[in-house]
Amino acid sequence: MKQAAYGFALFVFLALPPVARFLESVMIMHMHMQMPLLVIAGYMMARYFQLWFPGFLAKWNGNGIPGIVLFSIVVMYWNLPRAMDESLELAGSELFKFVSLTFLAGLPLRDSWQKVGYACRSTVFIGYMAISVALGLLYTIAPVQLCNNYLLIEQITLGWGFLTTAICMAVYVVYRLMIRHSEYE
Amino acid sequence: METTKLQLLKDKANRAMGINPSDALISKTYMFIAFAALLLGGILGLTQGLEKAGLITLPEWLTYYQVLTAHGFLLVIVLTAFFTIGYFYAGLSHTLGGLLPKVRTMAWIGFSLKIIGFPLVVVPVLLNDATVLYTFYPPMAASPWFYIGLVFIVLGVWMCAFGAFVQVASWRKRNKGQHVPILAFFATGVFVLLFFGSIGVTIEVLTIIPWAFGWTDTINVMVSRTLFWSFAHTLVNIWYLTAASAWYVIVPKVIGGRRFSDVLTRFVIIALVITNIPGGFHHQIIDPGISLAIKFMHVFMSLVISVPSMMTAYAMFSVFERRGRELGGRGLIGWFKRMPWGDVRFLAPFIAMAAFIPGGAGGIVQSTNQLNQVVHNTMWVVGHFHLTVGTTVMLTFFGISYWLIPYISKRVLTPKINKLGVITTIIWTVGMALMSISMHTVGLLGAPRRTSYTTYGDSATAASWDPYIIVLAIGGTLLMIGVILQAYAVFHLMFRAPKGETEFPIADVEENASETPYWTERWGRTIFLMLLLIAMAYVIPLVDMIVNAPPGSPPFRTW
Ligand code: HEM
Ligand SMILES: [Cu+2]
Repeated sequence: MKQAAYGFALFVFLALPPVARFLESVMIMHMHMQMPLLVIAGYMMARYFQLWFPGFLAKWNGNGIPGIVLFSIVVMYWNLPRAMDESLELAGSELFKFVSLTFLAGLPLRDSWQKVGYACRSTVFIGYMAISVALGLLYTIAPVQLCNNYLLIEQITLGWGFLTTAICMAVYVVYRLMIRHSEYE
Repeated sequence: METTKLQLLKDKANRAMGINPSDALISKTYMFIAFAALLLGGILGLTQGLEKAGLITLPEWLTYYQVLTAHGFLLVIVLTAFFTIGYFYAGLSHTLGGLLPKVRTMAWIGFSLKIIGFPLVVVPVLLNDATVLYTFYPPMAASPWFYIGLVFIVLGVWMCAFGAFVQVASWRKRNKGQHVPILAFFATGVFVLLFFGSIGVTIEVLTIIPWAFGWTDTINVMVSRTLFWSFAHTLVNIWYLTAASAWYVIVPKVIGGRRFSDVLTRFVIIALVITNIPGGFHHQIIDPGISLAIKFMHVFMSLVISVPSMMTAYAMFSVFERRGRELGGRGLIGWFKRMPWGDVRFLAPFIAMAAFIPGGAGGIVQSTNQLNQVVHNTMWVVGHFHLTVGTTVMLTFFGISYWLIPYISKRVLTPKINKLGVITTIIWTVGMALMSISMHTVGLLGAPRRTSYTTYGDSATAASWDPYIIVLAIGGTLLMIGVILQAYAVFHLMFRAPKGETEFPIADVEENASETPYWTERWGRTIFLMLLLIAMAYVIPLVDMIVNAPPGSPPFRTW
C-alpha cells in the first residue's frame, strides 16, 4: 500500500503546474519523461485498485488481455505527434493525458502483466521496440516540423531519443535470448 | 553434486596452496609494468616541477609539453589500467577458484594488444609529433599513429574485460543461485564500466584518425570533447571503485575486523555503475555550445555520485570503530588509537581515505558553475587531481602492493619492508600535502595549468606566484623519493624477499548480517538501466552539437 501512496504522490507532483510546464517545455522531456512517469505513477497505484476492486478486475480483466489492449491503445494514441501538440493547446486534452496515461495505461498494465503469458509480454515489448524505431526514423528524417509547439531540432532530438531507446531494448532482448537465468540461479 | 564437491576441493586447495603459477604470472607482469610506469612517470613529474619553478632548463630536444604528455599518459592511463587489471585478475583467480585457461589466454591477448599499442603511442611523443597532452583534444592533431596506438590499447583493455566476464559467468554457472564473491563483484562492476565507458572515446578516436591522416578536412571539436569526457570521467570512477574495493573488502581484514554490510556494498557498486558515465559533463562546464539547462542537469548527476561516497565514508568509520572497541578502545576516540598504525597495509589506505575528504570537497567546488569559473584551467585543478588520484588512489594501490605482490610472488612481507612502506607513506603524504596545497593556492591566485616556466614579461602578479611554485618543487622532490622507495619495495617483494606464503586478505561479513537480495546479481538489468541513463544524458546535447554544428576545425599543430 505504501507503494500506491508513493504512486499517488508522484502523480500529484507531476500535475503541479510548474512541474508540468517545465517537463512540457522540452519535446523529449514531454514524451520520454512526463508520459512514462505518468504510466509509472499508475503502475504504482494499481496495487490499491487490485486490493479494493478485485471483483471488477477479475471480471473485466480475467486473462489480462483487455488490460494490455487498453494500455496499447492509450500509449499508441499518445505517440501521435498531433495528440501531444493538442495537449498543449486544449486544457481538456491535457486533463485527458494525465487521466488516461495514469489510469488507463499504467494501471491496467500492472494488473495484466502478471496475468498474461510470455508470448504476450514479448509481443508488447517487441511491438514497442518496433514503434520506437518507426517513430525514431520519422522524427529524425522528416524535413518539416510535425508539431506546432516544438522546433525541428527538438523533433530530431526526440527521434534520437526513440532510436536510443530502441537500441537499449534491443540490447536487453539479445541479453534475454543469449542468457538463460535458469543456468545461473 | 559431484561437480560442486570437486569445486569445493579445488577452492580449498587454492586457499591452501596460494595462487597457481600461471595466474600469478599474469598479475605479476601487469604489476611490474604498472610500477615501472610509476617510476618513469615520477621522474617526468619531478622534471616538470623543477622546470616550472625555473630551477632547471630542459634540453633542446625535449619540451615541457612532451614531458607533460608522457607524465599524464604514463600515470593516469598505463599505471592505473595495468594495476587495476593485475589486481582484479589476482582477485578473480583467488575468489573464483583459479582462472579458466581461456581467460588466461584472453588476458595475454589483451596484454599483447596493449604492448603493440605502446610504441605506436610513445614513439610519436618522443619525436615531438604527438605533443597533445594526455587529453588529446582536437583541434590539436598528433601523428595518426598515436591514435592508432590508442585504439590497440583500448582493444587490449576490452579483451581483459571480456575475460573477466567469461570467468564470472562460468563461476555462476557452476555455483547456481549463489552470490558472486564480493571482490569478483567489484571486478565485474569495474570491467562493465571500463568497457561501456570506453565506447565513447573509441568513437572519438575513430573519427580523429581519418582527420589526422588528412582524409577528412574538419572535425567537430565539441563532440570530440564530449566523447572524451564520457570516458575520462568514468575512468576516474573506475579508480575510485578499485580503491573502494580494497577499503570495503581488504582493509577490514587487515585490522582483524569484519566488513560492512554486504547489501550496502553491492548497492554502492550498482549505484556507481548506473549513474557514472553521464557525470562527464562536469569537466565541460566552461565549454561553449552546451546549454545551461543541460549543464545544470549534469551537475546534478555529478553530485549524485557523492551519495555512494558518503555511504562509503560512513561504512569505513563504522568498521574501524567496531574493531577499535573490540580491541578495548574506550570513549569518543579511544578506539581510534587502537588501529594498527604501524602496518603499511592499513596506514596507506587510511591516509588515502582521509585525503578523499578534502579531495571530494574540492570536487564539489569544481562541479559548481560559478566556482568552476574561478578555478578552471588553473593550477587548482592540478592540485585537485594530485590529491584524488595522486594520493587517494595511489596510496591505496601502494597499500595493496604490500600484500598482493608477495602473494603473487610467493614471498612474504618482512618487518623491514613494512617499515620502509610506512616511511614511504609518510614521505608521500608530506610531499603531496606540500605540492597539492601550493597548487591549490597558486591556482586561486590565477596561475594557469599546463604552462612551462615563464615570467610573463616580468609581470608582478606572475612573480607573486613564484614562492608557491618553489614549494611545489620541494613537494615534488619528496614525492620523487617516495616513488623510488615504492618502486624499490615492489621490486624487492617481487624478486628478493624471503620465500613463503602470504594470505590474500578478504574480510568476512558480520555475523547475523541480513540476507543479500538476489536482484543484485542481475547485471543485465543494471546495464539496461545504465544505458537508459546514458541515453537520457547524452541524446539532447549530442544531437544539438551535431545538428547545429559549426563548420568544424582543420587539424592544428600548436607546438
Ligand atoms: C613524483 C610525483 C609527481 C610530481 C612531482 C608531479 C608533478 C606534476 C606537475 C608539475 C604537473 C604539471 C602541472 C601543469 O603544468 O599543468 C603534473 C601534471 C599531472 N600529473 Fe603529476 N606529479 C606527480 C605524480 C603524479 C601521479 C602519481 C599522478 C597520477 C596517478 C599524476 C597525474 C598527473 C596528471 C594527470 C597531470 C596532468 C597532465 C596534463 O595536464 O596534461 N601525477 N604533475
Ligand atoms: Cu569527472
